[in-house]
Amino acid sequence: MKTLHSHLEDHFEELELVIGWEIGFEPLRATPAFVRRREDLARLVWNPLCAPNLSVYLPQILKSAEKTEKKVAVCLKGCDTRSLTALIQEGFVDRERLHVIGLPCPGTVDPQALAQARKNRAPVTQVSFQDNLLILHSYEGTEEIPLDSVLARRCRRCRQPNPLLADVVLGDPVPARCDAPSFAHVEAVDSLPLEERRAYWERELDRCLRCYACRNACPLCVCRDRCLAESRTPKWTTQRDSVRDKFLFHMIHALHLAGRCTECGECERVCPVGIPVALFKEKMAQIALDLWDYQAGVDPAATPPLQTFDPSETGI
Amino acid sequence: MDEKNDKQLRIVGFLCNWCSYGGADTAGVCRFKQPPLLRIIRIPCTGRMDPLFVVKALAQGADGVLVSGCHPKDCHYAVGNFYARRRLELVKRFLPFVGLDPRRFHYTWVSASEGQRWQQVVSEFSAVIQELGPNPGFGQDAVTENAPQAVSSQGGAGDTERCISPRSL
Repeated sequence: MKTLHSHLEDHFEELELVIGWEIGFEPLRATPAFVRRREDLARLVWNPLCAPNLSVYLPQILKSAEKTEKKVAVCLKGCDTRSLTALIQEGFVDRERLHVIGLPCPGTVDPQALAQARKNRAPVTQVSFQDNLLILHSYEGTEEIPLDSVLARRCRRCRQPNPLLADVVLGDPVPARCDAPSFAHVEAVDSLPLEERRAYWERELDRCLRCYACRNACPLCVCRDRCLAESRTPKWTTQRDSVRDKFLFHMIHALHLAGRCTECGECERVCPVGIPVALFKEKMAQIALDLWDYQAGVDPAATPPLQTFDPSETGI
Repeated sequence: MDEKNDKQLRIVGFLCNWCSYGGADTAGVCRFKQPPLLRIIRIPCTGRMDPLFVVKALAQGADGVLVSGCHPKDCHYAVGNFYARRRLELVKRFLPFVGLDPRRFHYTWVSASEGQRWQQVVSEFSAVIQELGPNPGFGQDAVTENAPQAVSSQGGAGDTERCISPRSL
């Protein structure tokens, strides 16, 4: 933590804005922080509670930022740098205007898993971290919870804990949990018979509120106020609350991310009703890997497969 | 063929203006007999095909979706079908994941002169759809589109035995 602060202190003169995380409304919640003044740097934190993918703000911020010599600093975990790479691939972000602070990530905490793992009921007053242990202080006492037992689903299948592209990497490299892309969760759904798969998604999507949090948290959902899901012409979804309209919204999201999604898992993390919506995108990533041997957000120079073609392709 | 069944079954066909639409026309001019399930939507090029067309049609209970365009390398706009085939193959592989039957979706290439081949494509795909029967769509109100809201609120209340909860994944 010292290094993040001292690095930013040293370079603050060159920076217009620093995007990082700060402690939110309770010690267990880290929320995005936008720092423009030197004295506010002290608010920034970096720990396994810092789950939000900050690359989601970059296209908007860089579009509205004044053209100055100063750069925008952004803190990115390993998986977040893949989102940034995908944005660079499609030309939504100007790499030259960014100062990317890469942070090797031990995994992020799933708040619900943490709530279940806790034995004390009292509100947490302070959190500290030590060798993959979460130490929670409350007036009922102190408890230690191993980080591995409360990881978010996306982190359990993580293969990119270390930043792919960064101006500076703070911290030691972390070993990846998976060497190859792991689609075990997608395969679990695929193993059901067709009818049950439909029943499963009907049951899951029935809870959807169409709050569009998944879309808003998605770094690659770049249409913003021109989203197809809210457009009246053409009118893809109705105002009804039927499962089918919810389903169509998720299909719009998934199909627009086909061959682009970097599986950062933000859509699933922010879902207020716990629908595993990231599975749609993981399936897309699996298909893209099978068909075109393509992984999104790995190579800044690559073109996403659906934005190009190959005349010599056979079999399709 | 079962008369009653035929009345209910519908295939949505998305045909490219330059090849397959002409091919279907050729088949008609030559008076080739075709099953009556297909309803044709003319599109300027298969490059116009949004994969969402397929998903929405199947989710709303269309019994089949057929997409046909110029043969690759013969596109009127040179490259439209090269883009299209990537998207169509992707959506074909994605459909089973959300519980829509991939056999209800077929894409192929038929040129304007291939009336005979068009007849064959339509007959074969219609046979597949007749074999599969009506499409339940997605969401329980798929069949009763104009039924009261109460019907849709039962969506997905099936057996809960094999439920995969996101936490157990």
